[in-house]
Amino acid sequence: MAKTRKEVASPTRKITTKPVISPAMLPMEAITEVHAADGVYLQRNDVMFTAMKHTQGEFSDFFRALRDEGKVFGHRCPECRHLIIPPFMRRCPSCNFVEMKKEYVKDTGIMAATPVITVFAPSRYKGQEPFGTGRVFLEAADGRLSDTAMLVRVRTTRGTIRPGIYKKGTSVKLAFCDHRQGEMLDVFAVPQSELTLKQLRKSPLLESEIKWGRLSEVEFGKPSVQLRKTLQEVIADFRKLAEMVPRSPRATANLANWHRTVAVRTGGGTFSFVVNEGKLHIQKDGAKSADLVVAIQDPSILLTWLRDSTQPVGDVKSPALTDMVIEGTLVLNKPELETITRLDRVPRSLRRDHVVISQSTEAN
Amino acid sequence: MRDVAIVGAGMTPCRSRWVEKTFWELAQMAVSEAVHDAGIHIQEVEAGVAGIYNDIFEFQAIPESGFQGIIGLQNKPLMRVTNGGATGAYAMLAAYNLVASGLHDLVLVLGVEKALDCYDYEAESNTPAVVQTIGYSWDPWFERPLGAHASESYAEVIQAYMDEHPGDLAPMARARIVELLCQQAQNNPYAQRLGEKVTADQVLHSRYVVYPVRVLETCVYTEGACALIFASTEMAKKIQERNGRDPIWLTGVGAANEPYFVGNDITRYKVLHRIYSDHVATKKALKMAGIGIEDVGVIELHDAFIPQFMITLAEMGVVPVGKANDLVEEGIIMPGGKLLVNPSGGLVFGGHFVGGSNMMSTWSAMREMRARGIEHGLVHGTGASLSMYGVAIVLERRA
Repeated sequence: MAKTRKEVASPTRKITTKPVISPAMLPMEAITEVHAADGVYLQRNDVMFTAMKHTQGEFSDFFRALRDEGKVFGHRCPECRHLIIPPFMRRCPSCNFVEMKKEYVKDTGIMAATPVITVFAPSRYKGQEPFGTGRVFLEAADGRLSDTAMLVRVRTTRGTIRPGIYKKGTSVKLAFCDHRQGEMLDVFAVPQSELTLKQLRKSPLLESEIKWGRLSEVEFGKPSVQLRKTLQEVIADFRKLAEMVPRSPRATANLANWHRTVAVRTGGGTFSFVVNEGKLHIQKDGAKSADLVVAIQDPSILLTWLRDSTQPVGDVKSPALTDMVIEGTLVLNKPELETITRLDRVPRSLRRDHVVISQSTEAN
Repeated sequence: MRDVAIVGAGMTPCRSRWVEKTFWELAQMAVSEAVHDAGIHIQEVEAGVAGIYNDIFEFQAIPESGFQGIIGLQNKPLMRVTNGGATGAYAMLAAYNLVASGLHDLVLVLGVEKALDCYDYEAESNTPAVVQTIGYSWDPWFERPLGAHASESYAEVIQAYMDEHPGDLAPMARARIVELLCQQAQNNPYAQRLGEKVTADQVLHSRYVVYPVRVLETCVYTEGACALIFASTEMAKKIQERNGRDPIWLTGVGAANEPYFVGNDITRYKVLHRIYSDHVATKKALKMAGIGIEDVGVIELHDAFIPQFMITLAEMGVVPVGKANDLVEEGIIMPGGKLLVNPSGGLVFGGHFVGGSNMMSTWSAMREMRARGIEHGLVHGTGASLSMYGVAIVLERRA
């Protein structure tokens, strides 16, 4: 090992000035009061703060192979022949720490289990939802599978990730981001069934070489009279919801600090709404320059959600809007769930602020 | 090994946020309750173990250092244990060892946690910050950068189990367990969700947090503390003469942690569709106690997520793996069934102050054993990525 260490910038092609955490996560210095039943308590704005230059150590080789070669390798034990991916250790403990050997593997494999889909992410991963994560057994050169499975993001070329696309044993191919940094997010899985022969043969297959379809752009066909009528009811009830928001401090807070124009495409026609300054505005036409497009075949599903949200009801029957996205009923043109999660909080806020009177005990 | 008895227990109420209390005060409240419950003076206690899961929740590295002198124990040993979600059970295991080994005759074990001081200023909500804090438990090279976090991780196990056993962990069975636990929590005066009524129907209509797990199937974030006093046989006898109450005995302990990385060989890797740690830990504890799972009348298990609650009971041998719906459909854990599970409401309704949740479980199991004349109880803790840590402790009431 060289005695001197020199720190140089990583030769990545992606130029970024993005801070590691969003500046909006940093609080201003302040001490605030909480008025509780038995007195006044102080709380201090603070952070548990340690910035890092976090070494990737012996894993650097693996991440450099992802970044520079578009390849994955594992470690194989010369005695027991187990092949581990990622190469998370250099010696095999089962063979009393005999040194393992580097072995490149194919970019194809199978899912160890059905991947899961994150709807509500930790702070640092907000804005990436919904995302799927799952474990892949990769094929060695002889076609046999690795002994450990590697956690990766799983994606689909057909809109946002939802159940039914992947299951245990689904054949997948690893694809690589065009601009790679040397990290696990450089690589992701795609079902082999969604790729062409040419794409399957290409290695490494780059993200830009895949056609990312937009389910939100599908044609719904000519709207029937019934669907058109339902859409008008949806628009009317959406307006009712918008009128209730200013009367609820909680609902206003739900929509605060968020600006989005959202086009809603349905089988009965199109409308749009704007979230701005804690308020909701409905427009009869679909916005041409929408930040987000959501598509839903049957507007009556939205109508049920709106009726649950704006009328005094017993038990809420409609699934949450986020559930509609996860189940694939409501399709987004990009994986940005924030607008939907904010909207989903509004009905509960309306009930908590007694703008809508609930007839049943509200669950936590 | 010497026999070990629990001679006292003390709890604080479980709350989502104690803006009124720091973790020092919560710790002192629980210890004070426990020594008064045992009828001892804190100066009699020879050593302590403190279970605190996460430095970030406490906003202090070596958070236990402030306890010395506040909970007594000045110039005596205090050891901090941190083992993910199973911190409470592992802290009890450490305290058990201190007494069983003969090193000490009277030991305090305390579990305490804050959580909701964490705050996401961007989302203007605590939850994403709490989830992120727990998310720091994943390795920083391979899994955390992908956004791995607690619900995602347990959901992976649940989904893999459902791949192997289609139809098991049925939504209605899960929903009815939630309803049951909610009802049971109403008898726990310290429960976080006292006064709540959650129906199976509400569970089925609640939103997904991580597909396939719904929000009403998950444990809550809790702040609180619980303390227990462990004693040797001789010391337990003396204390019994003072307080006139039979102690509860710890007759079996077992623990096992699965490997971090996933593979097919269960002897070397984590097999995703199993919670093998629960299986091994329970088997060890029962063997040590010389009983079978059928001899157990009450189980207080660590229900981070309801589908995991069902898998854990199957891994323990209450039902065969793959037949967890029977817990509900055959009425095994339902009112009037042969097994009482989580009379405290568990971690979903009682509360989950991570460092001490398993001690709350112990407090509850002891209470039920005394009230209902149950001979054997079982306390369980799980934790870490993919539910890889497992601890089981057998309790015995000697008539």
